[in-house]
Amino acid sequence: MAISSNCPDGEPLISVKDICLSFGNFRVLTDVSVDFYPGELVGLVGDNGAGKTTLIRILSGMIPPDSGEVYFDGRRITRFYPKLAISLGVESIQQTIGLCDNLSVARNYFLGRELVRRVFGIRFLDKKKMREASTKVVRDFGLRDSIDVEDEISLLSGGEKQTFKIARAVSFRNRVIIMDEPTNHLSVRERGRVNELAVQLKQQGLLVIYITHDIFQIHRIADRIVILENGRKVADVLKDAMSAEALEEIIRHGGHEPKSGPTGS
Amino acid sequence: MRIFVRRLVRRHPETGTIALVFIISCLFVAITHGLWLSVGNLQSLLRLTAVLAIMSFGEATVIATGEIDISVGSTFGIGALSFLGLAPLTGSSIALFAALLSGILIGILNGFFVAVLGLSSLIVTLGTLFLFQGIAYAVTYGFSFAATNSVRQQVVYHAVGSGNIGNLNVAVLWVAGILILLQLLIFETPLGNRVLAVGGDPASSYSRGVNVTKIKFGVFVSSGLLAAFAGVLEAAYIGYADGSFGVSMELSAIAAAVLGGCYLRGGRISLVGTLLGAFMLCGIQSFLIILGVQPQWYILMLGLIVVFASLLDRTFASVVARK
Repeated sequence: MAISSNCPDGEPLISVKDICLSFGNFRVLTDVSVDFYPGELVGLVGDNGAGKTTLIRILSGMIPPDSGEVYFDGRRITRFYPKLAISLGVESIQQTIGLCDNLSVARNYFLGRELVRRVFGIRFLDKKKMREASTKVVRDFGLRDSIDVEDEISLLSGGEKQTFKIARAVSFRNRVIIMDEPTNHLSVRERGRVNELAVQLKQQGLLVIYITHDIFQIHRIADRIVILENGRKVADVLKDAMSAEALEEIIRHGGHEPKSGPTGS
Repeated sequence: MRIFVRRLVRRHPETGTIALVFIISCLFVAITHGLWLSVGNLQSLLRLTAVLAIMSFGEATVIATGEIDISVGSTFGIGALSFLGLAPLTGSSIALFAALLSGILIGILNGFFVAVLGLSSLIVTLGTLFLFQGIAYAVTYGFSFAATNSVRQQVVYHAVGSGNIGNLNVAVLWVAGILILLQLLIFETPLGNRVLAVGGDPASSYSRGVNVTKIKFGVFVSSGLLAAFAGVLEAAYIGYADGSFGVSMELSAIAAAVLGGCYLRGGRISLVGTLLGAFMLCGIQSFLIILGVQPQWYILMLGLIVVFASLLDRTFASVVARK
């Protein structure tokens, strides 16, 4: 049985019901049901291979589930493709993908939603506007001044790329921000900034889904914590209902509440 | 200085090709005592370059997405045969339409297997190369298709290959027009941005909402269309075509694109460079002819150039990858 406590009131923005997904014979997700509410910061936690990334890949439209239902704003989603997710305002910062190394910073920033100007009715890239808008965003997010947005993104360091992905995700008008291990590659100070940003976005009324290994880090900022284990949801609790130590015990015991009760800490 | 060169190469992959073409041209002019630069030679050289370049542009758009189209040689032949086979019966306009359609259909076939079914483009287009080569031999049955006198009078026939404007064959105008069009399409439109993105990183492009299947499908269709059109230009100029028309031209097309700075792993192409690459290949061919070398040696040269080009591809990649 999953451990759960009360959820926020109101209608969920994203509702996932009984989702199953297998890759070949390997069951990745089994009957996962979660509701996500607007203005909420949800920590999605679990061990490697627990199914966290797969779940958010479904939510960002990268792959369809084998069975189960996904609702967005009360509407059933029947086809899964990234463009739909993006147009609904679901923006995701994924770990290994999201940037095309051969394109400039500006072109990466606007990939899939390029700014255009019409010349004789033909849609041409508005390179000037794209350059100005993306320059402003990367400067606001503190990328070093020597980066020209016309340079290829492969010139950026790992941390800068991650910062750029976060900047891109939050600077368009969105309703949901999904962050998959967003603090990877980042320095201690940058981590603090990302966590602050996640809280700010939530306060602006967005739904923030934050995936991490670090239960203590997420416990400080999240409103609710969902734990996956071997493709099943094993806990879904409001932050105040359980301590980080108790949650860590759940993960350590493979999703079962320790029999001897909460260990002293 | 080194940073400047790197930035130049990164943003303009054709830089090396321009330098190479200039050096080789000077060499050819010197060795042939200026004969290589004569009006007659330049005329035929430019026409040959135009035809090869149009085909290579299609190849370059496919390479831009990280795929390859080996079938263009056969598509070239099928385009030429459709045009000359039908022109005496239907007139040049309908024959032109049919030839372009056949190119599009071959592109759709390639695109279906590669983009929709996700098969390797190397294998699929190698298969269609043989398939349509076989069909070309089968329909001509050892004979050749030739333009009749009435066909040779038609305006369309002149417009697609046999006519001249001033001293230049119309193919030169066509290549200029197509170059401008594709240059704008690939580098100045959202569609072009997505073509390059798919070649750079298909999974990332998909995650940003790019329809990777549609893009890959589209470049194979454009490659088929351009190869068939190049075949028409050549056929209308020569006036006849047989089953061996276009054989091994896919090698020249790929070599031209790679020499021109197109990066075989995708994501980086240069159309101006591809044009220069085609010019270089045709220039070598005419140089050998002027020297009186047997034309068969060109194939040997081409082989060497392709090997050299792959080396160039790797060197280029390492220059770009360095930070």
